[in-house]
Amino acid sequence: MFDSVTFRALDSALDGLAARQRAVANNIANVNTPGYQAQRVSFEDALAASVARGDGRADVSTARSLEPTREDGSNVNLDTETLSNIDTVLRYQFASNAMDGQFSSIRTALRTA
Amino acid sequence: MTFDAIGIAGSSLAVHRKWLDAISDNIANINTARRTDEAAFQARYLVVQAGEGTSGVYVESDAYGSAEGRLAYDPTNPLADADGMVRMPDIDLATQMSALIMAQRGYQANAAVVDRARESYLAALQIGRS
Repeated sequence: MFDSVTFRALDSALDGLAARQRAVANNIANVNTPGYQAQRVSFEDALAASVARGDGRADVSTARSLEPTREDGSNVNLDTETLSNIDTVLRYQFASNAMDGQFSSIRTALRTA
Repeated sequence: MTFDAIGIAGSSLAVHRKWLDAISDNIANINTARRTDEAAFQARYLVVQAGEGTSGVYVESDAYGSAEGRLAYDPTNPLADADGMVRMPDIDLATQMSALIMAQRGYQANAAVVDRARESYLAALQIGRS
């Protein structure tokens, strides 16, 4: 029951979103660091493919942004990163609510028995 | 660690605070005269470096501006030499003020990240509660 596709997929999603949260925090932390290249975290495509296979586990991959840099060699956009930060927080809340829902179903089943 | 976001933003808050300190020190000393046989007050700059992976940012070292400064004619200054000259620091107020705004905005951006990371923490704490 704790090893269903749904549990694994939600677990991977929470992992991926937490990794993105760290990457975005790191990008904003280095908004004024000359020569810093923004980090990008991707896991959604891998996760979707994994769920389609009936697995649900997906690896999180981190890459450096290849966007053009500013004069100081940094390519962090504060607006993009802020949006990504807010988006990631909401998605994280969404995924943890869904995880919570999974546990409540189990609890309901336990109470009924 | 799942939730390093607060620590990462915290490292940057510290860096921006140090930057603000350096800038205010530079501006405070913009009119600090020295004798012509002494070094001028040197503006302080921070050399920052991104940490490995997602470990934020840190101050690697301090860098200093010109010790030569510029000579100014101020015969009434008690520090003036026989020709009435003193050595003034070579600090540009406009440069310092724009750096001040960048440091302030950077600090605010990172303070906002701390707030948003907190929301994620609280969401995770709710798992299994209801």
